[in-house]
Amino acid sequence: MALDTAPKGWRSFARYSMLTIVALFILFPVYTTVIAALKPGNKVLDNPLVPDAFTLDVLKDAWTQGRLGRYLMNTTVVALIITSVQLVTSIASAYAFSFLKFPMKRLIFGIFLSTMLVPLEVTLVVNRRTIDSLGWLNSFQGLTIPFVATAFGTFLLRQVFMQIPPDLREAAQMDGLGHWGFMKEVAIPLVRPTLGALGLFSFLSSWNQYLWPSLITTEDDMNTLQTGLRLLASSDLDKPNLIMAGTIIAAVPILIVLVVFQKQLVRGLTAGAVKG
Amino acid sequence: MAIKTRRLRDIPLALAMLGPSLLVLLTFVLYPLGKAVWLGQQTCDVQGKNCKSVGWGQYTTVIKSDQFQHALWVTIKFALITVPIGLALGVGLAVLADKQLRGMRFFRTIFSSTIATSVAVASLMWLFLLQPSVGVLANLGWLRDIFPVIKEPGLLKDSGTALWSVGISSIWANLGFTFILVTAGLQSVPKEMHESAYVDGAGGWMRFTNITLPLISPTLLFTTVVLTSRAFQAYGEMDLLTNGGPIPQDSTTTVTYLIYGSSSIIKNNDGLQAAVAVLLFVILLALSALQFRGFGKRVHYGS
Amino acid sequence: MKTPNKSRFLLAGLTASALLFAACGGGGSSSIIDSGSTEAPAAGDSSAPTAAPTTVATPLASLPPCDTTALDAVTETIDITFWHGMNGDLEDSLTALTDEYNASQTKVKVSLENQGGYEQTLDKYLQSSQDSRPEMVQAPEYAVQVMGDTDSNVPVGACLESAAYDTSDFLPKALNQYFTEGVQWSMPFNVSDPVLYYNKKVFEAAGLDPNKPPTNMAELRTMSQAIVDSGAAGYGLSLDTGADSGGGWFLEQWFAKLGELFSDNDNGRLAPSTKVNFDSQVGTDLLTDLQSLVNDGLAYNVGDNASGQDALLKLADPDKAAAMTIATSAALGTVLTTVQGGLIPGITTDDIGVGPMPAPGDADAPGAIVGGASLWIVNHDDPAKTAASWDFISFLISAESQSTWAAATGYVPVRSSALEVGAIAEKYKTDPRFKVAYDQLLQAADTPASLGAILGPQREIRALSARAIATVLQGGDVAAALADAATQANALLSAYIAANQ
Repeated sequence: MALDTAPKGWRSFARYSMLTIVALFILFPVYTTVIAALKPGNKVLDNPLVPDAFTLDVLKDAWTQGRLGRYLMNTTVVALIITSVQLVTSIASAYAFSFLKFPMKRLIFGIFLSTMLVPLEVTLVVNRRTIDSLGWLNSFQGLTIPFVATAFGTFLLRQVFMQIPPDLREAAQMDGLGHWGFMKEVAIPLVRPTLGALGLFSFLSSWNQYLWPSLITTEDDMNTLQTGLRLLASSDLDKPNLIMAGTIIAAVPILIVLVVFQKQLVRGLTAGAVKG
Repeated sequence: MAIKTRRLRDIPLALAMLGPSLLVLLTFVLYPLGKAVWLGQQTCDVQGKNCKSVGWGQYTTVIKSDQFQHALWVTIKFALITVPIGLALGVGLAVLADKQLRGMRFFRTIFSSTIATSVAVASLMWLFLLQPSVGVLANLGWLRDIFPVIKEPGLLKDSGTALWSVGISSIWANLGFTFILVTAGLQSVPKEMHESAYVDGAGGWMRFTNITLPLISPTLLFTTVVLTSRAFQAYGEMDLLTNGGPIPQDSTTTVTYLIYGSSSIIKNNDGLQAAVAVLLFVILLALSALQFRGFGKRVHYGS
Repeated sequence: MKTPNKSRFLLAGLTASALLFAACGGGGSSSIIDSGSTEAPAAGDSSAPTAAPTTVATPLASLPPCDTTALDAVTETIDITFWHGMNGDLEDSLTALTDEYNASQTKVKVSLENQGGYEQTLDKYLQSSQDSRPEMVQAPEYAVQVMGDTDSNVPVGACLESAAYDTSDFLPKALNQYFTEGVQWSMPFNVSDPVLYYNKKVFEAAGLDPNKPPTNMAELRTMSQAIVDSGAAGYGLSLDTGADSGGGWFLEQWFAKLGELFSDNDNGRLAPSTKVNFDSQVGTDLLTDLQSLVNDGLAYNVGDNASGQDALLKLADPDKAAAMTIATSAALGTVLTTVQGGLIPGITTDDIGVGPMPAPGDADAPGAIVGGASLWIVNHDDPAKTAASWDFISFLISAESQSTWAAATGYVPVRSSALEVGAIAEKYKTDPRFKVAYDQLLQAADTPASLGAILGPQREIRALSARAIATVLQGGDVAAALADAATQANALLSAYIAANQ
């Protein structure tokens, strides 16, 4: 191809142009959102591309009126609970499948895997009734317990555990390490990068849950950020700047988390998580 | 003898380690699935009680119905729009940005950033752009003159452009995820592979198709499966952007929206909702199977 | 290891293909709701309601009781939760009223829970177990049959009787909207009806009298022509096809104005309806008229109005605005506030005019069906809670509260005594625009036709008629669209009766 033998300058130019064009596509909605969030109500419709007015009041209103502070706290608690418990249960089940011997192991593992294929839609209505009968509507238990076990996490960690050479296990046994010791000293440290990636993905998907929280919350105090945003969108349609301010407040925490844990994420993914 | 006792000795520990997960998965995934399959042949009152059996023929009726077939077609279209474009974009960007050149870190951060947006956040941002009366694009005079559909009736309200518009917002939102995954996959491709091919005189494109692509194929398979499953289960985007799309064409009524959408006509019938959901499950199952078999043959697992 | 997996996947793939083949096996069109009924009422089947219906009156004694004196013996504060669907400014006004009530006495404390809209409130109520339900819930006007069929409420009529409450000054249409089978099920609280909003400045610029809005569609057409021809605005009327407005609710309104029944069994007020009438000549004429307005460039279709405000927003369109729109009177408060905030350049709040909803064709047919929502008491087998809910309800429907509520929102007071007290008395004098919706409800006698239809799957049927109107406004054949919608609506009705009666 001509591009290959073309002078390096052209290739570089082509590369940078393509990257810039797509980057602009990515940034454009963010740009318009930020501008709208910082404009007072009467100026928000003229010149949507130009920041010709500035006020922080809209952000403040979104925080107080939209009760986003409370929703933010709810979402954080829910995401942290789900993530931490998911990590614990995934490590435990992955370890069991990798290093323990018990009957019907394959069958039980098959049952685990099959749950990965069941989409949320099938389970929602029945789960709502279950949660209702347990009295867990409008509760943190209701928002978290259905998600604290994940076959995906188990599968991922088992993949990595299986790569631990059996001689390592035998050597540890000879050193007198029981299962608990082996897990603590050998298995978990080896799997730490994957844990990081798994934890991050868990946190992200719990943070972004939309359908489930809207189904089981009837008290405003228990709304999450996503359902709260939806409330804001339906109730203040004539104030697009307020809604945009809300989306910014909702996106910033997660952005910070991702920037801080960027390295862990990539390291975890490269450490064999997505390899066969 | 010793082996047998060893097998049994682990049982209490296995119970303790597997028990909680199994309990949760059985209660909140497998039991609802079974219940839903059973519900699919019943019809219930508005409260979901007093369910009466109408026979397994209800599944056939649903499959044959116009609404389901239309919703399925819309869902497939949506997946065909978002998955190939999203994947190509993610891979292309990851490859282009996978160099230690000036400014690449900056580009990589931008391309990863959309992973921070939830469905609600991304959809609302795009709603603000696409809304015909007060949206950003509709109020740009010069843009309106080139593409009048932006204003009349609006990209989200024109049956031809509605699904594409929702698709673009979905591609935008998923780009971060795809980019990060493919970048991670690229970083595990040994540099020597590239160098040896370069020395052999292979061009950039050839290097890409013959070396890079096969080596990141596990990542690509994984990403495709996730993107497809997300496309098939998309709901929030339709809920916030189009409410099932301009009627009467229902251009953005996907299967999930058919079940839960606010304009759904099966909303007060638990039995029909369950039947559609179970059918969605079966279709997703078949799709994953196809992807693993079809794609899976070409997946190259490490050397 | 490979083989078991392979065969499992193969099986899945085959199943899916089999399903798809089965799907392609049925020729012609079929609806998903065909599968709803367990037994289709066959001809000559004595259990089917094909014979002339008799009034199915439910005696109050067979329903959960209400003892309004139960509150007297209570010493501790009773907490009651009230689920509602009011958004934005409406929610603020409701909160203000509730705070006033809570502060005025110590026996009852009300907590408001906004569920995000009427749909969500109703859905959550239906999905919840009785224990998870609140003490009071606000249900929209189309949910009368559905709520009644849940058998979960204490009829407000029982409380009215127990307290010997005088409802003689109530708007008959408001009370009757929620009265079927001989029982007053719920109490109207926020009452609205559709009115015509118009831009007076555009009227002036087009040479029309800004104080004489059109009273029927024929006049509307003439005025729209004048507006478009003079260039004062881009369109005369903005139409929408939302189920709760132009696509569903307005259709029922127009039938009621003409004194035509929308469904059988006296609009479902005698016994549950089994078929709809909107595919009659009346409906065809109505839709043909709307279609020609759009075709002639006099009206603009804003689509399905998911936000509920699209038709109104068209008046604010900086490019090709519409001069008039039909929308709920409940939006008047918000419209004026938004206009005051400067949403429409060059227009002040004085330039917004309000007129009655235009009648179909060239008829002289005033009147409207009551819209909005009502208050339902949920039965928790707790006389104190029931009495507490009734206490709050009687506060909300008192003349003073209704006056405050109506003045702040644009809703219509449910009783005439409210017009003489408080804020609304002032408002109706100084701003007669707010009174248009009220006067409209006093016109036309109370007959089953003018009261509007009560249907089980009313929301879904409105979604069907909305689809028909959308098809028509985009150029489709009127008779075919209506016939198709009517067939599906009737299927929904028989499925509902089979599942819920």
